[in-house]
Amino acid sequence: MAKTGFCDSMPLLDLHKKTTEERRAPLRAWSNASGPKERWHPQEGEEQPRGVQQKTEPERRWVRRLPVSTEDGIIMGFHENESSSYSDGYKEDEAVLLYLHGLQGLHSLQTLVPGLLRHEMELAMEKLGLIYDRSYAWDVFSDMMRSQLRFTFPNADLPRPFTDTTRAILVDWLIQVHGVFHFSEETLYLSVHLLNRSLRQIKVNTANLQLLGVVCLFLAAKKEECLLPEVSELCFLMENSYSKRQLLRMERRVLTELKFEVSHSSPLHFLLLSASIAHCSTKVVWMARYLLELSLLEGQCVVFLAAQLAGAALCLARRILQEPPTPERETAWCIASSIHMGSEATLLKIMHIQAGAAARAQSRDTCATFLKFSTGETMHVSNHLALQSAPSLLSLTATHT
Amino acid sequence: MAQECGFQYEPVAEIGGGAYGTVYKARHVESGQFVALKSVRVQTDQDGLPISTVREVALLKRLEQFDHPNVVKLMDVCATFRTDQETKVTLVFEHVDQDLKTYLEKAPAPGLPPSRICDLMRQLLCGLAFLHSNRVVHRDLKPENILVTSRGQVKLADFGLARIYSCHMALTPVVVTLWYRPPEVLLQSTYATPVDIWSTGCIFAEMFRRKPLFCGDSEVDQLGKIFNVIGLPPEEEWPADVTLLRHNFSPISPRPITDYVPEINDLGAELLLEMLTFDPLRRISALNALEHPYFQEDEVTNG
Repeated sequence: MAKTGFCDSMPLLDLHKKTTEERRAPLRAWSNASGPKERWHPQEGEEQPRGVQQKTEPERRWVRRLPVSTEDGIIMGFHENESSSYSDGYKEDEAVLLYLHGLQGLHSLQTLVPGLLRHEMELAMEKLGLIYDRSYAWDVFSDMMRSQLRFTFPNADLPRPFTDTTRAILVDWLIQVHGVFHFSEETLYLSVHLLNRSLRQIKVNTANLQLLGVVCLFLAAKKEECLLPEVSELCFLMENSYSKRQLLRMERRVLTELKFEVSHSSPLHFLLLSASIAHCSTKVVWMARYLLELSLLEGQCVVFLAAQLAGAALCLARRILQEPPTPERETAWCIASSIHMGSEATLLKIMHIQAGAAARAQSRDTCATFLKFSTGETMHVSNHLALQSAPSLLSLTATHT
Repeated sequence: MAQECGFQYEPVAEIGGGAYGTVYKARHVESGQFVALKSVRVQTDQDGLPISTVREVALLKRLEQFDHPNVVKLMDVCATFRTDQETKVTLVFEHVDQDLKTYLEKAPAPGLPPSRICDLMRQLLCGLAFLHSNRVVHRDLKPENILVTSRGQVKLADFGLARIYSCHMALTPVVVTLWYRPPEVLLQSTYATPVDIWSTGCIFAEMFRRKPLFCGDSEVDQLGKIFNVIGLPPEEEWPADVTLLRHNFSPISPRPITDYVPEINDLGAELLLEMLTFDPLRRISALNALEHPYFQEDEVTNG
């Protein structure tokens, strides 16, 4: 029940069909055929009272009170001038990160980081298998923070004729294909990252859009996976609308145009690191992963940095689940929050997008992520009732700023 | 786009017929700038470009963005798709005229002044710490692939290439020197970043000696030469699951390192021994080596 039968969704994937009519019609058909309603089973005991917004107040206080300040912008100093508007907040983030970008030879930097945070970071990185040697933990993290600035998009505009909707349909399909191959989550994030760049850098027509998407997934798999799908399998998934030769040619084209730069800082790494430092419950982590994956479908999210998307997903997940605070957990959250993932204004902006996406998720045509996170394996997070009212949860707290 | 490499650069000279294929010095037609071109021919099978090429080149590109002063600059990567079966990947690096080997050979009679050696070592370790913090192990560090610019700046070269090449080249017998290899590589045990520290230690000694420290002509001979200096390690440090056993070597106790590197000062000798530690887990890391008093002492005397 976890995976949408692949053949069910095939009509949707016919992006290469000649006329727009042909392309649109099956889309409706598919959403009717495997609509999420029948798959949506609210879990017993997950009922959340709706009016719990006031509870989020203490959390806001945690965000900025830790009195640590180093020369490194990663650690949050005192940002008390937070009354600024959204755009100011974003600029401030950029300034901090750009400053960080300018630093070289950061090896002495780790001495400036509070020992407790450093220790937690080392443990978290080790747990995620990101380091061989603990003494490099902080450097690896600094590099992650800097690398995420490497490919940023000034705006969310897509070259014509593509729209956020076409992009979302393609990403949704890639999520399904990704599920079919049981690839790692990193591969999915990398695929969409490559797609975002390719869409803006390579001229493709609508007929080749699906091919481009598959090639991005294929390249991401080459970067991240041990077992690769056969090219013929990929062609089969596209109903053999393209030949193997066409696929391999597209691969060369994408690699050449992207100049082999197929690495990125995955928002998932930031999420898992923060969650691990914050000692978040498994359910919070699944919820945050769900919200983060939903942002892959949101065209407007491409302008945000990986750490910001992850930070927002984690904050929102905590607000939605409203787990009773324990001193231990709050302290851990406090330590995790001292890592500068983004200004409050930026995080809030992203949380709004994610909350909106989560509220609409089950009624959309592009519901692969919703289905994926409705399984027992993922603790049924996408079925959580509070998600439907997630946007209002935020708008109330937003008025306090 | 794919064809650009050929047109943009004109070859000037062949600069290395190294183990990993031919390297050309070339000139960028527009700017007149010199570059080093290294090409690998990759078999493109029915799965397209091989995974290893995609990964290694992506890694080099990722490191490039940090623009580290002690790492050679990768200016461009070109993929020329010759046929459906073969792809030529050309890496375009900045060209630096001399390597550490020539630099040491050209140094006038008594050798490099100690302060110069200290500075070169610090730069070398900075570059290495950078690679290691990015989870890159050089694996083939030797004076030939440490470049020294005319202004005395150290730049590590050819990192990661060892892996790119080894994956794709069915080469005629590859001659790779054993002299800078650490015991765990010679014993074919597992290895990671400490590999490079061992090689750096060998190079450190060589800067004073102006000739290599351990010149073995086989794996066993190389290990014997190493144990002559550092002594035969105790049984408990000997790696498990290796074919060469400890009792294949005669028991020998360590000799003072200053017998081999007489010009080195006390702190330098201390650091050198920490780099030439048999057990990779106990060998000093690049980051910690940079914190060693040997480097602070130099600051005091020079500052």
